[in-house]
Amino acid sequence: MLLHLLRIDLKKMTGYRTFWVVCGLYFLTLGVTSASGMEFLKWLARTFEDFGSKLNINRVPLYHFPDVWLNLIWCSGLLKIVLGVMVVISVTNEYSYRTIRQNIIDGLSRGQFLTSKILTNVLLSLLSLVLITVIGLVTGLIYSPVLTFDRIITDTEFLPLYFLEVFFFLSYAMMLGILINRAGLTIIVLLLSRVIEAVITSHIDDQVPWLIKFFPMQSIWNLIPWPFPRYAFQEIQDWIDPLSVAIVLGWTLLFNWLSYLKLKRSDI
Amino acid sequence: MENVLTIRNLTKRFGRLCAVNNLSLTVDRGQVFGMLGPNGSGKTTTLGMLMGVINPTAGEYLWLGEKPTHHIRKKIGAVLEHPIFYPYLTGRQNLELMAMIKEAPASNIRRVLDLVELTGRENDKYRTYSLGMKQRLAIASAMLGDPAILILDEPTNGLDPMGIAEIRRLIQRIASDGKTIILASHLLDEVQKVCTHFAVLKKGNLIHSGPIDDVGKGAEVVEVSADVSDLDRLLDAFPGLQAVNRQNGCLSVTLKDGFRSQDLNRFLFEKGVVASHLVTKKKNLEQQFLEILGTHSESKTL
Repeated sequence: MLLHLLRIDLKKMTGYRTFWVVCGLYFLTLGVTSASGMEFLKWLARTFEDFGSKLNINRVPLYHFPDVWLNLIWCSGLLKIVLGVMVVISVTNEYSYRTIRQNIIDGLSRGQFLTSKILTNVLLSLLSLVLITVIGLVTGLIYSPVLTFDRIITDTEFLPLYFLEVFFFLSYAMMLGILINRAGLTIIVLLLSRVIEAVITSHIDDQVPWLIKFFPMQSIWNLIPWPFPRYAFQEIQDWIDPLSVAIVLGWTLLFNWLSYLKLKRSDI
Repeated sequence: MENVLTIRNLTKRFGRLCAVNNLSLTVDRGQVFGMLGPNGSGKTTTLGMLMGVINPTAGEYLWLGEKPTHHIRKKIGAVLEHPIFYPYLTGRQNLELMAMIKEAPASNIRRVLDLVELTGRENDKYRTYSLGMKQRLAIASAMLGDPAILILDEPTNGLDPMGIAEIRRLIQRIASDGKTIILASHLLDEVQKVCTHFAVLKKGNLIHSGPIDDVGKGAEVVEVSADVSDLDRLLDAFPGLQAVNRQNGCLSVTLKDGFRSQDLNRFLFEKGVVASHLVTKKKNLEQQFLEILGTHSESKTL
């Protein structure tokens, strides 16, 4: 039954050129940027040479196991906004074409309609995860000087978190689409969410600093640690914080549940 | 007779506006049921509630004697207001998607495309269709699940006379298969030509409901002319006369209850006048409809 619902939503999407263009661009950018870090380093080294100093690119083990995992995951996480916009378009189209109304008249329940959208979100998150895993394995195998099983699987525990990060964001985009219904406004709110939240948190920074990590955009920021300071010889967090995982999970559930409530109660 | 649809005290309020007020109705199997009413009388809101897209404020309805679920909706073919499809998909892809939702066999697609004569354009994108083609695709999609019940809301809206005639023929053909059809329209002529029963809504209230054959009962109107100059004076002596009007060179005579056109004919003959033109005018739905709306607003003001 779940597979049937997923096929329904994919049927809508696969005939839609914008979907292919946006998803194509997303996965292409994801692949190209994450695989071209080495080229970037070489460019950096050449620039350094032009200025008379030397940069040993082997001192920056971007693609060495286990560094490759966190580096890739953290950078690819920034691209999730593209998929988020796609999800907004997919949801708001149903409102602007009024096809959500016809879907329900034709015999989908409101819950089933929502489930079909959620399943597509799961699929997109899974595809991102698979792509990152493959790129991580390939580049790691190419560039790592030492290959041991131990090194390869170190930090792979962050991969499920990457899936959660993408799925969290797609759930958020979907909820905004269902609450706002209009594509343009929804995308603006989606893009500004982080900024709006930053403004709020900066005001409560003095009074209740412990509250900040519970804000949704902050919680996703805390989920996966920023890996690059380690190349400046700083300690980074290389373990999973259960509290931040719990907060992100909580928000994800809440977003999907609120979408359901809104759909259930509104006249379509 | 089996009840296909039972509505009990259905009410919908949008804030202070009462769109549908305490509506109760039944539709039996095989009926072609016309829902009449001016724009904004609550027809589409009622159909929206019946199809699960608008949550009723109060009241309930039963389809085939059961509480409504989304499973029941799969067995009903419905088009509300105007055709709704994904503009970037072809007509055929849209039907394929609907067949998945309705869990109808994909082999039905060919049949319904043939039924509405869209087979040649099935692989063109929906947004390239003319209004008539969009309406026909909507009827095709409603027929997709081989439904026993069909709901059509203004199916001829915006069509040219040929398109209207085409859709009307289609509805009559579908009705002759024994399907129950609920047809909302403000085109009275259309309803009279295809419906067996009708209901009239006004500002959310049901003000009349009954078989279409009842239309034309009541006072009979006879159009008469004869080659005599003082026909109207002659008619004054007719005992069954209620009123007489001159219309298009004929006299239009409204008869009292219990008098028929034969009585008028016999009366004239006995007076030595032979009518050259004598036609019983059936009252049409339009007159009846305006009469119902009129008496309703009178009784409201009283």
